[in-house]
Amino acid sequence: MKKTLVVLLLTAMLLPLSLFAAGTKEAAVDESKPVTVNYWTHEDPARTKLETELIEQFMKENPNITVVRTTNPSSKQIEVVQTAFAAKQGPDMFNLPIEDQYAYISNGLVAPVDYQAAGYRNEQDLLDKYVDGVLDTVTVDGEVYGLPLELTNWAIYVNKRVFSSAGLDAERDYPKTWEQMADVSEKLVIRDGDILVRRGFDFRYPYYLEFFIPMVEQLGGDLLSADGSKAIIGDDAWIGALTFLQQWGPLGRNLGSPTYKNARSLFNQDNNDIAMTHSGLYQEARIKSDNPEFYESMEWMVIPFPVFENAVRNVAACYYGHFFMVNADSDPAVQKAAWKLAGFMLSHGEDYLTRGGSIIQPTKALFASDTLKNMPYSQVFIDDMARAHMIYYGENSASIQKHIRQAIESVMLSGVSPEKALATLRAAVQEIIDEQ
Amino acid sequence: MRIKKNRGIEKKQARWGFLFVMPAMLFFSLFNFYPILNAFHTSFYNRKVLSRAKPSFVGLDNYVRLFDVTRAANPLSFYNSLKATIVFTLGTFIPLLVLSLILAVLISNLSSNRAKKFLQISYYTPAVLSSVVAASIWMIIFDPRGLGNQWLNALMRTPGVDRKWLVDPVMEQVSTMVIYFWKYIGYFVILFITGLASIPPTIYEAATIDGANKSQTFWRITLPLLKPTVVLVSVMAMLQCLKTFSTQYMLYTNGAPRAPINVITFNIYITGIQDQYLSRASAMSVVLFILMMLLTLLQFKTTKSENVDY
Repeated sequence: MKKTLVVLLLTAMLLPLSLFAAGTKEAAVDESKPVTVNYWTHEDPARTKLETELIEQFMKENPNITVVRTTNPSSKQIEVVQTAFAAKQGPDMFNLPIEDQYAYISNGLVAPVDYQAAGYRNEQDLLDKYVDGVLDTVTVDGEVYGLPLELTNWAIYVNKRVFSSAGLDAERDYPKTWEQMADVSEKLVIRDGDILVRRGFDFRYPYYLEFFIPMVEQLGGDLLSADGSKAIIGDDAWIGALTFLQQWGPLGRNLGSPTYKNARSLFNQDNNDIAMTHSGLYQEARIKSDNPEFYESMEWMVIPFPVFENAVRNVAACYYGHFFMVNADSDPAVQKAAWKLAGFMLSHGEDYLTRGGSIIQPTKALFASDTLKNMPYSQVFIDDMARAHMIYYGENSASIQKHIRQAIESVMLSGVSPEKALATLRAAVQEIIDEQ
Repeated sequence: MRIKKNRGIEKKQARWGFLFVMPAMLFFSLFNFYPILNAFHTSFYNRKVLSRAKPSFVGLDNYVRLFDVTRAANPLSFYNSLKATIVFTLGTFIPLLVLSLILAVLISNLSSNRAKKFLQISYYTPAVLSSVVAASIWMIIFDPRGLGNQWLNALMRTPGVDRKWLVDPVMEQVSTMVIYFWKYIGYFVILFITGLASIPPTIYEAATIDGANKSQTFWRITLPLLKPTVVLVSVMAMLQCLKTFSTQYMLYTNGAPRAPINVITFNIYITGIQDQYLSRASAMSVVLFILMMLLTLLQFKTTKSENVDY
């Protein structure tokens, strides 16, 4: 009798608690209450136009949800979002390059995907819809923390007119190896004394994780050991790649330098000042928008990412992703609304490709679509992606990239030997991963 | 009795004075004292910007790390930042002080008021521009194909020579100094002109009657009487130079190497904001604060003079 009374009393005590808990959960995700989703993203005029339309449509369909879209320049977005999160004033939804975004997952600042709100039946349904492995980047302990806004890899854009003016046939003479890239560039450059008036090709400084690490990998090196505990693997490969860039710079063959105007932005103008540049498929939309005549002329083409002549691995430029993530501190109803918005926008993959800045959302449907296949030179990007891997991402990948930048600039611009630069780089990166 | 009454008035005045100063003090405490104390406190922990983990107390570890001699070889070390800061401050502060004084004297001695005003406005205009705009203008000038090379090559008849404004480590430091000098010279010229205007003309008249020439007038009258302004300008210019940031930031984001221009403030930004090591950055800012305070005290001590009454 006494026991029964205790059980009854305990049940009576716990019942309201459990009801309260359920009630709280239910109340927290009240989908009808008016909510505002603050969405921060980087500037991209074509995408802005499309997303403005999509958001208008989304708000019409979901009258209780107001979306405030804020854009920042790409370079500022990283700091703006970080500062806001540090002050606990982060946006409800945002995107960054994964190498800068991963720290938000590892620090528990973002919420796992709400599959139903985003329009998927469950996690498996989501995984099934995306290209294999793409979501591994944002999956921790079985939870997916982001949905890919874009997956980008770089190939080489070529201006055929510049090749012709130097007596070369772009279709035939385009560089297949880095050594050829230097030799062809030598034929294409126009100098006024030491000053480069026209460059053949120039790298996309300072995004070294995207293009320099694959160059090291081609020669057999790695950024980290397989278990991630040791920095800078394969000294000969690193020294080979650093020496190549040293020779590229003003202290070597003087073919380019980080202090010249960004090659990618010059390319679209077709002003006879750059023949080749690194960029993603999205560059096509930018050429079309900046210089429709040049775009229509098809006096440009895209070639694969070169490899060294003595390469031991056939690796193309790393691909990187921008993911939609949702602030874990936002109100649960806002989180739900944000995932709903992300899912809605990402259901328009073909629109993003055709009129949203030519960005690729790595869904199986898009990769199988004629829309992607019919984009000029899209196959070059798809083929390069197949021999590439995701960029190195970790809590301190941005910091590691800065040390790589220091090493490259010291050999390219300050006359430091590749061996010395490598020793300094190794010490710095090792310290970072040890602390991590 | 009279003394008591006077003290009462003084007290009353002091109370009013205190009331008037209060808002500024509150503002200063909130936006200056609090961050200083907070940075000092943070420097003893291992706080990272995005980390939710409770920062643990590490004592003086962050300071020990800053002054660890084994790191001195790294071009991005704090030692290198100290060196870059000293080079920049000396290379900018001394020319700023000397040339702004010379220009102020030259402008003050002009007979035409229109010419005076025109020159004052011309020199001051860059100070109104934001540092980012100023650096952007200079980026165009320092581009290898830009006006810097074109002008210098035309002047020196050396076609096609790239001066490597943003490439060579020494030239890069010179470039930051040139930008800073151009931006702030006008501000200090105006301060000196104000100081010069406060010297009563009767003193110059007396000197002229006594047969003093222009050089004697400058060294024996202008400079000694301008000493309070010189101290003010030198302290302000030095502190400004120690706090330089946006010029270096702008050059770096446009592809210039970081090591030669990695001044302490820039290192604080990279360490605290980009690399997320907030506590390490706080330790750097505490060191910079102490450095600035010591240098200011030293300047006051070495230039201490009696107040000038006319």
